[in-house]
Amino acid sequence: MLQITDLRKTFGAAKRALDGVSFAVRQGEMFGFVGANGAGKTTTMRIVMGVLQTDEGEVRWKGSPLDFTERRRFGYMPEERGLYQKMKVAEQIGYFGRLHGLSPVGARKAADELIERLGLTERVGDAVEALSLGNQQRVQLAVALVHDPDVLVLDEPFSGLDPLAVDALAEVLQERARGGVPVIFSSHQLELVERLCDSVGIISAGQMVASGTVDELRSSVGRRLRVVVAEAKSGWADGLPGDLRVENGREVLIATDGDDQHILHAAVQAGRVEHFGVEQPTLTEIFRGAVA
Amino acid sequence: MNGMLLVAGREIRTQVRTKGFFVGLAVTVVLIVGITLAPKLFGGPDSYTIGLVNSQELAVHGGGDTEIEWRTFSDEATARRAVLDGDVDAAMIGGTAGIRVLSDGEIDSELGLMLQAAHREAQIQAAGVRTTPLSMESIGADTRYEETRSQMAFMLVLILFMLVVGTPMMVAMGVVEEKGSRIVEILFTSVRPWQLLGGKVLGLGVVGLINLVVVLAAGLGAAFASGLAVDFPPGMAGIVAGIVVWFVLGYAFFAAVAAALASLVSRQEEVGNVLTPMTMTMFASYGVAFFAAKEPTSLVATIASYVPPFSSMVMPVRATAAATPAWEILLSGALMVVAVAAMVLFAGRVYERAVLRTGARVRLREVVGSR
Ligand SMILES: Nc1ncnc2c1ncn2[C@@H]1O[C@H](COP(=O)(O)OP(=O)(O)O)[C@@H](O)[C@H]1O
Ligand SMILES: [Mg+2]
Repeated sequence: MLQITDLRKTFGAAKRALDGVSFAVRQGEMFGFVGANGAGKTTTMRIVMGVLQTDEGEVRWKGSPLDFTERRRFGYMPEERGLYQKMKVAEQIGYFGRLHGLSPVGARKAADELIERLGLTERVGDAVEALSLGNQQRVQLAVALVHDPDVLVLDEPFSGLDPLAVDALAEVLQERARGGVPVIFSSHQLELVERLCDSVGIISAGQMVASGTVDELRSSVGRRLRVVVAEAKSGWADGLPGDLRVENGREVLIATDGDDQHILHAAVQAGRVEHFGVEQPTLTEIFRGAVA
Repeated sequence: MNGMLLVAGREIRTQVRTKGFFVGLAVTVVLIVGITLAPKLFGGPDSYTIGLVNSQELAVHGGGDTEIEWRTFSDEATARRAVLDGDVDAAMIGGTAGIRVLSDGEIDSELGLMLQAAHREAQIQAAGVRTTPLSMESIGADTRYEETRSQMAFMLVLILFMLVVGTPMMVAMGVVEEKGSRIVEILFTSVRPWQLLGGKVLGLGVVGLINLVVVLAAGLGAAFASGLAVDFPPGMAGIVAGIVVWFVLGYAFFAAVAAALASLVSRQEEVGNVLTPMTMTMFASYGVAFFAAKEPTSLVATIASYVPPFSSMVMPVRATAAATPAWEILLSGALMVVAVAAMVLFAGRVYERAVLRTGARVRLREVVGSR
């Protein structure tokens, strides 16, 4: 388990970037890290990767403080991508494999496998600067994955990808998570996070405002009742809890509290009940509620 | 350590594979060989061909390694043609009134003197007088090698200047490449800053050393091939080894400075500007070294040969240009080693703190004082 406990970081004299960030990611868990721009995601990830020093708090891996040797077994994709522009694809991936401790043969093998897996086979001999942005992004991913990392930390890995590339990347990450690797990634695409992640952490202004499994977050927000009554007299919902909205020209009652049986009874009285169901709040709604 | 060697390996491979590396090396070799041979090509010849008609070969004693080739002609007319065609430098025609020397235009003055002396000697000996040559002896400093030494020193200034300036420049470019492209952020998760910087300096140093060794070998090879090597002063092996050691020290110092300064900026365009203090120091060293090649025993050269980092260029030049006591070289070397160690520590500190701070140019003050 990767445990991040009470990180605090201040830049310069006044700029407080992190103000007590804590969360944990278990083996094989996909953790979505969401928050507005400037909330502190990148700073947190940089501290995890040892690129920044934290002022307070600590990062633990498998129960003990994370050190350099263990961190070499992590895979990292920084927010600002970086590759040697003039180095060839296969050579570059292999070089990073070597830096992460692979043998020459092991590094070449791992690079070849990834090149095949990520569809870069025709590009092995090209310099990175000659590749399209999408392909450069794939090389960047390969660099993060080449040493078969114990933990993956990816800062906005989906940004700038087309929908097909998003699916391909998601599949690769899920595959790694199934192999027991904790995967942390930050993203603004909340539907994507909702679809992929086992758990989610929401950060706002340097503080964690919510974290847990998606189900836990939902139940913390509370369930929501959605009722549609056809041919109801106007005003049928007066006196009932919740809001009456108009969606596609029909009145819809959304209620987050109150006795559902009582509401059902009132609806049946008012007319023909077309829809009556408990609805899950989307991550977007949870996010809005949490950072508000 | 392993990480550092991997980084160094990448630097070497990247450099050695470029066309620029070979072109640069070829140009330097041609330049050095050219300069080595220039005195021979443009100076007076030291081998002459003399035609003989009815006369004897003379025992000519020229200065240094002068050689004379004799060619006998059957009559004067053929010999005259050979002189005019340039096949021989002069022709000696024997006759009742003595020997006439024919040349195309006025005779090469050195050749004329040599022939005159040899002829006089031969006549005196023929008359039965025993002669003994004058024996010359210097009781002052040994100045036999002065000229060769100063020629070698000038060449050394040129070589050291190209390599000691050029190689740290590559270090600076590499540092900015990694900083500007933000690749350091990934690298630092698998290698420590000192490994990355150390590997880069080591790798490019090896590239510089390859250059130096090839250039020295070319120069020495040309000197041996052309016969110039007979003028080499004693202790030549020590002089050459000293050059290599001084290059390593000078390079280490300036590479550290280059890395520290370059880590302050994020774009290649800013490199030249931020390196100004270093390039100024280098040009100053170059100026003094140039002077030291000419006046190796002057006060300026002596003082500068002790002060790091000037000493890294001035001392080898001084030691080449004039015999210099070993203790002076060792003392100056020790001072330089201390300076290199201090600069490496300082540069490592600056680099580590500045290289992750992209964007606007980082001020040296900001990274030196803090923590
Ligand atoms: N190197 C830095 N110097 C000064 N302030 C910084 C630095 N890095 C980040 N910050 C500030 O810290 C806050 C958090 O930034 P960041 O972690 O990049 O947020 P996110 O990745 O969530 O968008 C922001 O207000 C940002 O301006
Ligand atoms: Mg960010």
